[in-house]
Amino acid sequence: MKNVMDRVINELTDHKAEADLFFSTSKSLKLSAQKGAISEYKVSSSQILGVRAIKDGRVGISYTEALDDESVSLLIKQALQNAETSEPNTDETIMHLTGEIRDELNKPEAEVSINIKTQKALELEGKPKAMDSRVVAVPYNSYSESDYYSHYLSSRGRSAIYTDKSYSITASALMDDKGKKANFYDFHSAHTFNELKWDKVVENSLFHAKNLLEEQSLPTGRYAVMFNTDSLKELIGCFSNFYSAKSALDKMNPWGAKVGEEVISKDLTIEDHPLFDKSFRISRFDGEGVERKPMYLIQDGVLKNLYHNSVTAKKMNTKTTGHAVRGPSSSLNVTGTDLIIRGKNKKPLPQKYLEVIEMAGLYSGANRVTGNFSVAVKGYMYENGKKTMTFGNVTLSGNLIDILKRAEVVGEELLTSTDESFFSVPLIFDGISIAGA
Amino acid sequence: MQLLQAHVAQDIISHGMAMGADFVDVFVEKTNSEGILYKNSKAEDVQSGTIFGIGIRLIHGEQALYGYTNSTDREELLRITTLLGTRIGKKQGSMTVNFEKLTYPKIPVMVDKEVDAKYKLSYLKKVDESLRSDAKVSQVMLNFMKKKQMIEVYNSEGLFATEERPYIRLFHSIVMKDGTKQSEASHGPGAIGGWDFIEKLDQKEITDLLLKQATTMLHADPCPAGKMPVVIDNGFGGVIFHEACGHLLETTSVEKKASVFWDKMGEQIAHSALTALDDGTISEAWGSLSIDDEGMPTQRTTLIENGVLKRFISDRLGEMKTGHKRTGSARRQSYKFAPASRMRNTFIERGPYEMSQMIESVSDGIYAKKMGGGSVDPSTGQFNFAVQEAYLIKNGKITTPVKGATLIGTGPEIMTKISMVGKNLELMAGMCGSVSGSIPTTVGQPPIKVDEILVGGEA
Repeated sequence: MKNVMDRVINELTDHKAEADLFFSTSKSLKLSAQKGAISEYKVSSSQILGVRAIKDGRVGISYTEALDDESVSLLIKQALQNAETSEPNTDETIMHLTGEIRDELNKPEAEVSINIKTQKALELEGKPKAMDSRVVAVPYNSYSESDYYSHYLSSRGRSAIYTDKSYSITASALMDDKGKKANFYDFHSAHTFNELKWDKVVENSLFHAKNLLEEQSLPTGRYAVMFNTDSLKELIGCFSNFYSAKSALDKMNPWGAKVGEEVISKDLTIEDHPLFDKSFRISRFDGEGVERKPMYLIQDGVLKNLYHNSVTAKKMNTKTTGHAVRGPSSSLNVTGTDLIIRGKNKKPLPQKYLEVIEMAGLYSGANRVTGNFSVAVKGYMYENGKKTMTFGNVTLSGNLIDILKRAEVVGEELLTSTDESFFSVPLIFDGISIAGA
Repeated sequence: MQLLQAHVAQDIISHGMAMGADFVDVFVEKTNSEGILYKNSKAEDVQSGTIFGIGIRLIHGEQALYGYTNSTDREELLRITTLLGTRIGKKQGSMTVNFEKLTYPKIPVMVDKEVDAKYKLSYLKKVDESLRSDAKVSQVMLNFMKKKQMIEVYNSEGLFATEERPYIRLFHSIVMKDGTKQSEASHGPGAIGGWDFIEKLDQKEITDLLLKQATTMLHADPCPAGKMPVVIDNGFGGVIFHEACGHLLETTSVEKKASVFWDKMGEQIAHSALTALDDGTISEAWGSLSIDDEGMPTQRTTLIENGVLKRFISDRLGEMKTGHKRTGSARRQSYKFAPASRMRNTFIERGPYEMSQMIESVSDGIYAKKMGGGSVDPSTGQFNFAVQEAYLIKNGKITTPVKGATLIGTGPEIMTKISMVGKNLELMAGMCGSVSGSIPTTVGQPPIKVDEILVGGEA
């Protein structure tokens, strides 16, 4: 494949263009079960080559999944044509980086037979039913594995290779108790087959589905709320544009001009950490081949940095922070890596609070410019340290900036999201608006 | 030109059947796409590309085995077929399949007038200038997308079907700012067709619509919370039926009993005022197809008639597992997904009421003029929708604008509470994400009145 990539670079260079390429391949296997038999068996092998050509200060993107000579020639032609069409953007150049870097996340492991994988996949469907007769179906269940390879190559001589093999499992429990239905699903991912936590996903699905059978609405009012780590990750992630220099330049970031200002509670510090040792997937380089390093986004409530790539950095007169992102078929943007929220001035847990364990509709009910959101939630009420009810059929609304200003730290231990990409001390948000009965 | 040689397809199918499959199909796709992102008053991103791949499906009993690759190499395709067939573990005699090309009525599409990139850019520039006519507009984003999907379907019953599907869409969105207040508005018309569709758009009407929505919501008060009647306007309001009921009628959910409607065929599941259809045959509509991704000509399917459940949305596996006949609804994002029963153009049929009659019937409620997106868990029927533009109704009159409204409930409950259906049906383009990926679908309805729904706003 290196020959094809070199050919693209050389031909574009001959046309007096700079370029960088992404070539990626992926192989996957997925099994899911229904009525005690494997109902879905999916294998795949795919590839894509994408190019960013920069000629006379103009940028053109093109991509192809077919790699025959004719398709590669068309790829080059289209990239140049698209560059001619786009408007001048002298801030966008290929970075002056050379040398090869690698990010290899594959772990050595013994071969596991397809029969064992099949048996385990069948158990994901069978176990919840066997454990509780009220489980009428396991609508979401799957075992999947994926082998991913990506190679970045630039006309300046930068080569960055990323490889990753990962496994994941999903289980659910759809329960029916005298016509009342509840469903919950859980998943787990690992870098080797033997690290998968099969029993945990089944038990968690069943545990929460059982509790959700008892769900009741809450009276409309204001409550102290704790989001479980997955929900908090989802909520913070929905507004990731608040840390984006690209969004700031697009006037879509309310914190775009607030670097150096206090934006949230002084008790909170938020770090973007691409190399955190507890992360599922560390990331050594970004979409321009720049080596990454940890960075404070917010320190003691003060906004310290935004995510930058080389283009946003030039426009805002600073340096790239190594947060460029670009895939084979997409243009240059910025994105964060794993987040860690640390806190100080620990307060005691309130006597009464809600724990949100599931949110629905966040992305359609969120305004990323203002921070307003409204979302359907489910979870548990705690009073005097004890779980006293399961709630559902309510909506929670607020403004992310406002609630982060009111956040209180109620624990010191870093809790980890299910996908091991988000870490936070437990936080309570007081006075959150809930609409219910 | 054929994307895959017929004799290679023949070899794959023969091999799959010899390995014990009851049925084999091969889906071949080549999609050429182009896109322009016009932002900050310039073409920020211009791109184009080709996706190409082949999906092979073996069905044995109720088991679906699926694999895909980018390669047209016969040996690689046979290797994948072997990998799938090994799971069946039953050899049977080889068979030879002779393909007969399917002829079918083609959905009318607009002629694709070829225009060059400069012409498109000058068009987008004019739209950008028009949307910036209000000084409070701080950002305009125009996302132009055009693609041509060419598909071939071969199967072990001797079917060979092809279709070219041209898609075009222009997504408009604006951000308005006034002091510390900001609001957004968006509109994304799309169709099966070409540039002619774009030129026929009434850009003045779109500009007025977006500026009015953003201006109104800029100074809106928070929406009150609680259970109340809601009048939902036409067009994208149809997302409520799509989420609250449509997904629950797909055999993909029904076959797993993961739909609350799985055993309700022939029963009254909605208010008698409601009739709903899923129609893949509407000229130029964004969710239309001449044939589905299993090569079956699409149909106009009445799902609910006067509140009674009449049909499910079904594909081949759905028919095998539930007995409900196929409706030409097998769809997928690309060759990377096995087909599944999915909606096409789904809408509530016209009713007898004027909008004014619905508003006048509400003493204290909400008028949802423009809906946002939503989602549903088909297994419990629980849904949620965001409302982009909403107003209070007081004593039968639309009064002040409110923001932050979310509607939640369950499909079975809400369907019985749609008590009034208006006359003015409108369809709107959207994207629907589910088991077989993200696909173009149309939602639609005339205005409807829901007697009671939980509105999530500020407590």
